[in-house]
Amino acid sequence: MTDLTQNPTSGDRVKRFLKDYYIYLVLILVVVVLSTANLDKFPLFERGNFLSERNIINILRISAPILTLAGAFTLLMISGYIDLSVGSAMSLSAVVYAMLVINGVPFLPAFVATVLLGVLLGAINGFLVIRLKITPVIATLITLSLYKGIALLLVEDGVSAIKSGGDLKMPGWFNDYGRDGVLFGLPWAFWVAILVTIAMIIAQDRMKLGKYAAATGGNPTAAKLSGINTARTVILLYVLVGVCAALAGIARSSFMSLGDPLSGDGMELTAILVVLLGGTAFSGGEGRVLKSFIGALIIMSLTVGMLTLVPAYFQTLVVGTALLLAAASNHLVSRRDSEN
Amino acid sequence: MIVQTAFADNAQEKALSVRDLTKDYPGVRAVDTVSFDIDRNTVHCLVGENGAGKSTIVKMLTGALAPTSGSMAILGRDYAPSSTQDARESGIGTLFQELHVVDQLTVLENLTLGMEASRLGFLVKSDLEERVTKTLAAIEPTIDPSARVSSLSVAQKQIVEIARAASSGASIIIMDEPTAALSEREVERLFGVIRRLRDSDVTVIYISHKLDEIFELGDNVTVMRDGKHIATKPLADVNGRPELIEMMVGRAITHDYESRGEIADKPVLTVKGLSNYLLKDVSFHVNEGEIVGFYGLVGAGKTEVARAIYGADKADGQIDFLGRKRPSSPKEAIEAGIALVPEERRTQGLFTELTIRRNIPIMNIRKLASFGVFKDEREKEVAREYVGKLGIATNSIEKYAEKLSGGNQQKVVLSKCLFADADMLLLDEPTRGVDVGAKSEIYDLIRDLANNGRAICIFSSELEEVLGICDRVFLMYDGRVEAEIQNGAEVDIPQILNVVTGGGRENP
Repeated sequence: MTDLTQNPTSGDRVKRFLKDYYIYLVLILVVVVLSTANLDKFPLFERGNFLSERNIINILRISAPILTLAGAFTLLMISGYIDLSVGSAMSLSAVVYAMLVINGVPFLPAFVATVLLGVLLGAINGFLVIRLKITPVIATLITLSLYKGIALLLVEDGVSAIKSGGDLKMPGWFNDYGRDGVLFGLPWAFWVAILVTIAMIIAQDRMKLGKYAAATGGNPTAAKLSGINTARTVILLYVLVGVCAALAGIARSSFMSLGDPLSGDGMELTAILVVLLGGTAFSGGEGRVLKSFIGALIIMSLTVGMLTLVPAYFQTLVVGTALLLAAASNHLVSRRDSEN
Repeated sequence: MIVQTAFADNAQEKALSVRDLTKDYPGVRAVDTVSFDIDRNTVHCLVGENGAGKSTIVKMLTGALAPTSGSMAILGRDYAPSSTQDARESGIGTLFQELHVVDQLTVLENLTLGMEASRLGFLVKSDLEERVTKTLAAIEPTIDPSARVSSLSVAQKQIVEIARAASSGASIIIMDEPTAALSEREVERLFGVIRRLRDSDVTVIYISHKLDEIFELGDNVTVMRDGKHIATKPLADVNGRPELIEMMVGRAITHDYESRGEIADKPVLTVKGLSNYLLKDVSFHVNEGEIVGFYGLVGAGKTEVARAIYGADKADGQIDFLGRKRPSSPKEAIEAGIALVPEERRTQGLFTELTIRRNIPIMNIRKLASFGVFKDEREKEVAREYVGKLGIATNSIEKYAEKLSGGNQQKVVLSKCLFADADMLLLDEPTRGVDVGAKSEIYDLIRDLANNGRAICIFSSELEEVLGICDRVFLMYDGRVEAEIQNGAEVDIPQILNVVTGGGRENP
């Protein structure tokens, strides 16, 4: 057998390049298409220009929740696990955060309390999966239902969300975090998403956590035989995802000025979509946090772009189709690898 | 730790000492008061037939099994591992047949996995990386530490795993059939690695069926037979293959083959030049009403022959079965009248969570249906019929297959094949895990089936089984059929063992 590492053919090099950089090419392609399309008749884009400052800021600030989530979700999927409850965890966090604020709790304590709630929600998932040994899909499907159920219960009868009304008023600063531009025209939530992503990139490349996640997803037996506590690694990753879901919930709540128990609906699908689009293997072991981040930017650009091109009720179908394509290409790539 | 006085005075010179080691399973003594020593910095080979007790000893050494009685010592210190983790910490590394490397990480990341230096979870530079790189370079300089493991060959991955054991401080590395999946050149390279390991203060315990490898590589050899220790001596003092084989076989194997008379030359299955990733130019034929055996050691290619005929694996070459279409999938094989009884009965042959009555018709469920509607009553009738015919010991056809004994489970599997109207049965290790009484019942059943005109192929790693029931036997080694023997009173057992351990090449 020859060493494949020594002499890659030019064909291999092209394949490698595509595998490593296709996500950036896709982002460029999407931006080019959206900015050259004639969008004059679509009022959402300022003067029909996708690349206008206002439009970019708009896309980035609605993207804050998914950008916050993508990194931790990638690490979890690299370890071979999945969390379907992120959307519900996000909704519950949004509701709890809004309730605290509307009842007079200042920003910082409300923020910290909601993040701690995220720790708890993630830990519950980890507990179900690792200690009770429930299959990850089933376990987090259960909590998807539970977390959403609690969020719905917290909202008063006959009211669709926690919002200003009656004696209670949202304070004026409520929008600052998720909506109003504070730094280069972008809200705190976006900058938090950037910080979280940088932290996750560091965790992936410079910390034991990232390496152990890859080992756990790549070959669990080998990981255990090497003395790695895979259970602790996975629980920690669930907690991280829980925290990021809480941050995403705060961002969404602040953006919409209310605590909507349905605000995270479908987030699990979007999260899986961006992570798969970023090239993370569904079977675990492989993936890059940064590529998922790019994947999230692509999906959000498309979503906003689509709003202007197709009716809103088409979007779920489009997301499903994109998911199918991402999963299929993922499968094809990994099959080709194993045939080599 | 307490230094045990029962061991010899020069105990520190012994990498490993085993005293009166015994392992009992219900009804079987797998390892029987075995004692031997392994000298430091040698390649120590462990040989014996299938079932001689080698792998049980390995499991006790690696902490996967606890001995029933007896003791072990490493460098004169008492050694009683409570787990595989414990064994590793005591300096015993194991190269499993299944590789335990993480494909998605680099070689260096694999070598340091679980041993990384870190502060608050952050990886920090340490001399560990330099050390493991040096270890790797010392045993195999051509592997690039920054390469992804997924880009390496199986042989290179194996070397990475050896390097990891060596750099995590293993003083003894156990290798169980490490050359099974390697090409000749890779075997040479592995031998180089093993020799360099030995020179750098590591003792290697080497298990292989390939006796040539043993003579080429080993310093000392321990021979096991029927769970007992036969001899431990320097290979230089062993008088070639014949002596080693004689020690492995010892007594004459008892086999009670009764000739079933002349079998007419009426081929139902003709295979020519079957080749795939493992098989090399396998040709043979099976006659109507004949029981043909394939005998060889682990990795010789028996199961692969069965899977190729059954359409479960791709293979080049010709397969002609009664002039019918060559099956390209198990479904087509069943339709052509071929049934396979797989080696792993519980996981591949049986639906353990279904009842006997649900299991029996499952390969040919259409036979129970009329106009697409499934008849429960017919199913019960069929189940009762087969339970009676094959003598399945159960009080009810509603019993779960899981609850049956090994022998009765195997009868259920056979019933499945018979109900599928198979003209030919491929039986892979048909009596593994079956007790003696049930064994002879299954043999009788197989003979009955053959007497009724069915062609039968048995793939077995038990010589007694093959010689006890088969009319003709093909001996396999390394993916080839090396010899064909007509069964009878005058079979030469040492010669058979010589062939299946790779000795057939020189004097066919």
